[in-house]
Amino acid sequence: MKIVVLLKQILNPAGFVVRADLERIFVNVEDYIINPNDKNALEEALRLKDALGAEVIAISLGEPRAEDALREALAMGADSAILLTDEAFSKADASVATLILGKAIQKIGDYDLVLLGQRALDTGGEQLGPRLAEYLDLPQITNVRELSVSDGKVRAKRIWKRGYALVEASLPALLTIAPDSNEPRYPHGARIISAYREWEVEIWGAKDLSLTEEELIPLTEVRRKAFPPPREFGEKIRGTPKEAARDLVRYLKARKVVS
Amino acid sequence: MDFSFPREYQLFRRMVREFAEKEVKPLAKEIDERSHVPLELVKKAAKLGLLGVPFPQKYGGCGAGEIGYCILMEEMNKVCSSMTTIIGAHIGIGAMAIYLDGTEEQKQKYLVPLAKGEKIAAFALTEPEAGSDAAAIKTSAVRDGDYYIINGTKCFITNGDIADVITVMAVTDPSLGPRGGITAFIVEKDFPGFSVGRLEKKMGIKGSSTAELIFEDCRVPKENVLGQFGAGFITFMKALDVGRISLAAAVLGGAQLALEASVEWAKARQQFGGPIAHKQSVQWMIADMATEIEALRSLVYRTAWMMDTGQTGPEFTKMAAMCKLYGTEVAHRCVNYCLQIHGGMGLSRDFIVERIWRDQRITEIFEGTSEIQRIVIASQIFRPLGVRIRP
Repeated sequence: MKIVVLLKQILNPAGFVVRADLERIFVNVEDYIINPNDKNALEEALRLKDALGAEVIAISLGEPRAEDALREALAMGADSAILLTDEAFSKADASVATLILGKAIQKIGDYDLVLLGQRALDTGGEQLGPRLAEYLDLPQITNVRELSVSDGKVRAKRIWKRGYALVEASLPALLTIAPDSNEPRYPHGARIISAYREWEVEIWGAKDLSLTEEELIPLTEVRRKAFPPPREFGEKIRGTPKEAARDLVRYLKARKVVS
Repeated sequence: MDFSFPREYQLFRRMVREFAEKEVKPLAKEIDERSHVPLELVKKAAKLGLLGVPFPQKYGGCGAGEIGYCILMEEMNKVCSSMTTIIGAHIGIGAMAIYLDGTEEQKQKYLVPLAKGEKIAAFALTEPEAGSDAAAIKTSAVRDGDYYIINGTKCFITNGDIADVITVMAVTDPSLGPRGGITAFIVEKDFPGFSVGRLEKKMGIKGSSTAELIFEDCRVPKENVLGQFGAGFITFMKALDVGRISLAAAVLGGAQLALEASVEWAKARQQFGGPIAHKQSVQWMIADMATEIEALRSLVYRTAWMMDTGQTGPEFTKMAAMCKLYGTEVAHRCVNYCLQIHGGMGLSRDFIVERIWRDQRITEIFEGTSEIQRIVIASQIFRPLGVRIRP
C-alpha cells in the first residue's frame, strides 16, 4: 500500500500574540510547526504502516523552510519526503495549490490513499481535501475520526451531525482526518538525527511538474486583511420569571423581532 | 561564529520538551511525595531513545552527542529532578564509562541494551570513607582463575537498586595507589555475591533511589575488566568529566524553571498596591538570575561542543569542572532568589519552588563537590606552570 500524506507548515501559534484591540499580531518567536491536524493525518498513515505495512510519502507545498516539517515527518516514520517549492508557487491560492499538489500526487502515482488534515490551523481553511479529490477524481471521505483498510476498500468513521457515520470507499481514495482524532507519536531521537544527517528530502519545482506560468496564476487575490469586528456581549435579563418574560418581550419588540 | 543550534537539535529539543511536559511533568509532584519514579515512565523515555542519546546509533543510541544529551538533561530538569538524576546516572556516568573505555565486545553486550533502555546502569565509586577522596576506596578485587572476587561496600549509588549493570571501581593492587592500583569492572546485578543494602531517605531528588551496594565474594568474569587493568582511576575520571557537563545542563534547566516561576509570581503577587515586579529589589534578583542563566547556557553548550568535536584535552577537563561549579552555584542562587521572591508562600508544597529548592542542593555535592571542582580548575591552571595542586 502506498499512502501520500499532505503536510502544511504553519507558524507556531505559541510564538505569537494576537491583539485585536490594537489590530496587530506580535510575533515573539518565529517558530514553524506541522499543522497539528495534518500531523493527525500522518499518524493515521503511520498506524496503517505499522498494522499492514505501507509506504508513507510525505509532501508539502511551501517555502524552502517547509523542509523542516518534512524532516519531522521522516523522523516520525515516513519513508520519503517531497518538498514542492518554487518562486512561481509563492502566490498560490486554493485553486493553484490544488493544481500543484494534484500534479505532484499524480507524479508519485500508484497510490492507494491520500490523507490530510481536515483543517489548516492558520487560515481555518477546509477546502483543500475536497478540491484535491475532485481534481484527482477520487472518492473522498471528510472529517474522519477512525479508518481501516482491507480488501481494496477503506472504511471510515466520520463525524456526522451529532454522531458518526460509517462510510466505505474503494481505493484509491482521499480522506481528510478530523482534528484531534488521535495522539500523534513522538519522533524517536535517533530518527531525528538521521532525518537531518542521513536522509534526503526531494525537491520538486514548477518544471518538475510541467506547470506553466499561466497555470499558476491564482484565481483570487488578497486585497486587504482586517481583524473581525469585536464580538458584542449580550444583555442578561434578570428578575422573577414574570419580570424576565416581560423584559424579554419588550426587548424583542424594540428590535422588531416580534410585533 | 554561529551560536544557533543546528536544526536537528531544534527538533530534538521540541520532542524532549513535549515528552517532558506531557508525560513527566504531571507526575513530578507525586514522584517527589512518594519518593519513587515509576519504571514505566523510564521505559516510555527509553522507547524514544532518551536513555541512549549521546551514543552512536551503531550502539543503539541516538547519535546526538553531548549536545543532544545536554538538551535532554536541560529540558528534563525543567520538570523533574528525580527523573533527570536517573537518566544522568544511567547515561552520563554508568553507560558512559562503558562507551569510553569498553572493548567492542563489552559495548555490544552491555552498552547496546543500556542505550536502548532495556537495561539500567549505575556507577559505583563512592564508599563510606571515600567521597571527595575517591582514591581512598577500600573495595577490593582479587584474581581467582578466570574471575575476580570483589569485596566491599559502596554507598550513595544512584540507581543502585534498579540497575542491571553497574560499573564498579575496586582496588586491585593497594601498593600502587590510585594510579595503577584501581581497576574498573562491569558487574551484573545477578552476579553471585552482589546485593543491594539500605536506601537513603533524602531531602531532595527523592524519586531517584540512592542505594548501598554490597559485594561479598562477588565473582566477576575477567573479561568484565573495564578499560586497562589498573587504570580504573582514569576511567572514572573521564566518565565524571562528561557527567559534569550534562549535570550543568540539567541545573541550567532547573535555574530556568526557577526564573520562570519567579517572574510569574512577581507579576501576580500584589503588595503595597501593585505587583511586586514593580519593586527594584525583585527586579534586580530577576535580572541577575536571567544574566547568570545566559552565561551558564553559553558555557555548557560550548563545552558540549568541545566534546563533540574531539577537543577533550586538559582544557576540556577544566571547562567541564567550570560547568559543574558555575552551573550548580548559579542554580543555587536562582532557587534561593525564587524562594525569597515567593516569601512565606515559597515554603508551601503548593508552589514548585519548595521542591526545586530541595532538589537543587545535592547538585553542589554529587559528582564532585564545588570544592573539588575548584581544585580541578586550579590544578589545570597551575600544572603547566609546574605547580602541582594537591587536595
